[in-house]
Amino acid sequence: MIRAQGLTKTYGDRTAVDGLDFRVEPGRVTGFLGPNGAGKSTTMRMALGLDAPTSGSVTVNGHRYGTSPAPLREVGALLEAHAIHPGRSARDHLRWMAASNGIATTRVGEVLEQVGLDSVAGQRAGRFSLGMGQRLGIASALLGDPPVVILDEPVNGLDPEGIRWVRQLARGLADEGRTVFVSSHLMSEMALMADHLIVIGRGRILADCSLQQFMADHAASYVRVRSPQSTDVEALLVGRGLDVDRVGDEIRVQGLDAAAVGELIGSGGLLLHELTLVSSSLEDAFMALTADSVEYHATAGEEARR
Amino acid sequence: MSAQVADITPAVRPAGFGDVLRAEWVKLWTVRSTWWTVAALVVLGAGLTTLICWGNADWLADEDPSRGGESPGSFITWGMMIAQVCAIVVGTLAVTSEYGTGMIRTTFAAVPRRGVVVCAKAVVVCGVLLVVGTVTALLGYVGGNYFLDRAGVGMALEGDVARSMYGSGLYLAALGLLAMAVGLLVRHTAAAISIVLATVFVIGTMVILIPGELGEWITKLMPGNAASSLVAPVSFNPDSLGAWSGFGVLMAEVGVLCALAWWLLERRDA
Repeated sequence: MIRAQGLTKTYGDRTAVDGLDFRVEPGRVTGFLGPNGAGKSTTMRMALGLDAPTSGSVTVNGHRYGTSPAPLREVGALLEAHAIHPGRSARDHLRWMAASNGIATTRVGEVLEQVGLDSVAGQRAGRFSLGMGQRLGIASALLGDPPVVILDEPVNGLDPEGIRWVRQLARGLADEGRTVFVSSHLMSEMALMADHLIVIGRGRILADCSLQQFMADHAASYVRVRSPQSTDVEALLVGRGLDVDRVGDEIRVQGLDAAAVGELIGSGGLLLHELTLVSSSLEDAFMALTADSVEYHATAGEEARR
Repeated sequence: MSAQVADITPAVRPAGFGDVLRAEWVKLWTVRSTWWTVAALVVLGAGLTTLICWGNADWLADEDPSRGGESPGSFITWGMMIAQVCAIVVGTLAVTSEYGTGMIRTTFAAVPRRGVVVCAKAVVVCGVLLVVGTVTALLGYVGGNYFLDRAGVGMALEGDVARSMYGSGLYLAALGLLAMAVGLLVRHTAAAISIVLATVFVIGTMVILIPGELGEWITKLMPGNAASSLVAPVSFNPDSLGAWSGFGVLMAEVGVLCALAWWLLERRDA
C-alpha cells in the first residue's frame, strides 16, 4: 500500500504537488491520471525517496521508502525509460541492480524472459528503441518480485502489442494481490487497465474513485433524435417521463437506449430522420475535468508575456 | 483477488554494504569507458616513462654538471604525470555518467542511503586506481630502468624508488576521489573533468607567478603539486613538500571537498 498525507512539493514559488492525500490499495490497478505537468512524476519520485517533500509525507507499506532494508524487494519502479546507462547491456544493468539488493542473479534471466528481451540482453541499452527501453525498465521493476509496483507512463513508446502486454501485466500483478500504481496522461489507456482512478491537475486531486464511479459521474451518454415533427416527438418523450434536452434541431434523450427510443417514437406514429447513441468518451470526461488545470498553464504563459 | 503478496514484508536478509560494493564493481566494469581509460592509463603511464628514460638515459649519465644536474629519480615515474589525466576521467565518470544519463535515480531507488552508494563507489574507484596506478608505475620502472641501467644510472627498487611506486598508486587514488567529489558537486562530465584538469595542470603551474612567499606556499599546497615528492624518488621541484606531509595535504583537500559533496548529496533532489 502507498499512502500520501498532505504531500506537497514546491520548486521556488511554483507548487508542483499541492497537499495530496490518497491511498493506493493492494489487489487492484490504481491509475494515476493527469495532464503533463500535473505532478504525477514528482509524486512518484517522492514515493521513491528521490525527491524530498516540502511538507507532508508519503509511505510505502507503512514506512518511508528510504528506510527499507532492501527496497527493490519491496517496491519495483519504472521511472523514465532513460534512467539507464546507454553503454551498459540490459543484462549488466539488471545484474548490478540485483547485486545491490542481494537478489539472486537467476532473477535477471527470468525477468529478461518475462519482458521479452532475452534475445537482446547482451546489447547495449543505448541501441534500444524507446519501447525496448520501457521493457527493460519494467524488467528492473519486477526484478525483486516486489509486492508494490510503480509504473510511470509505462506505455510510452510501446507498439500496440506492447501496450496490450503492459495492460495484461498490470492486471496480472494486481490479481496476485500486489499494489499496482500506474501513471498516464492517457485516459483511454487507463480505462482499459485501471480499477481505481486518482486524477490530478495542478498538483491537486480532482477525482479519487473507482473507474465505474468515474464513468457514471463524468462520461454521460444520450440518444440523439432528429425528426421533422420534433415538437411532437419532444412532447411524446417528455410525456413518458424521460429526461429530454432540446439543442437546435436535435433532441437529446437520456435514460433509455436507442432501440427503445425508436420504438417509442414509432409507436406514436411519428417520423424519424436520425436516431444515434452518443456516448461522451472517458477521454472527453477527463479533458473536461482537467480543462482548468491545463488552461491555467496557458494563462500563466500569457501573464508572463505581458 | 487475494492479498497474500501485499502482506509479505521482505523476510529476507537486508542488503548490506558488501552488496552495494558488488553492485558498484559490476557498474564500473560493464561500461567500455572504464576499460579504455584504464588501458590508456597503463599504456601512457608505463610507455611514456620508458620512452622518456630511453631518450634521456645517456644525458643523465653524463657527469658534466653544466649539462646535467637532474636525477634519474625524477624520470622513473614521469609517465604517471600524464596517466593522472586517466585517473581523473575514471573518477569523474563513475559519478557524472550516472547523472548525465538519469541512471542516478535508478541507483538511489535501489539504495536510498546515498552516502552508502558514494562510499561504495569511492572504495571501488580508489581501490582500482591504487592497484592499477602501482602496477603501471612498476611497469614503467621495469621499462625505464632497462635503459637507465644500460647507461649506468639504473636504480634498485628500494627506498624512495619503491615508495614512488605505491606512492603513484596512492596519488592516482586520491585524484580519483577528488574527481568524484567534484563530479558530485557539479554533476556534469565535461564541467567536472575541466575543473579538475584545470586545477591540477593549469592553475597548479600558474600560481607560481604569484610573487613572494605566498606564491611559493600556494604552489606547494595545490592538489596537483602537494604530492609531487611522493610520486617520484626525486622531485623535479626541489621546493615541494615532503612525501608524506604532501600526501597529507592532498588528502585534507580531498577530505574537505568530499565533506561538501556529501553535505549537498543528502540535501539535493536526485
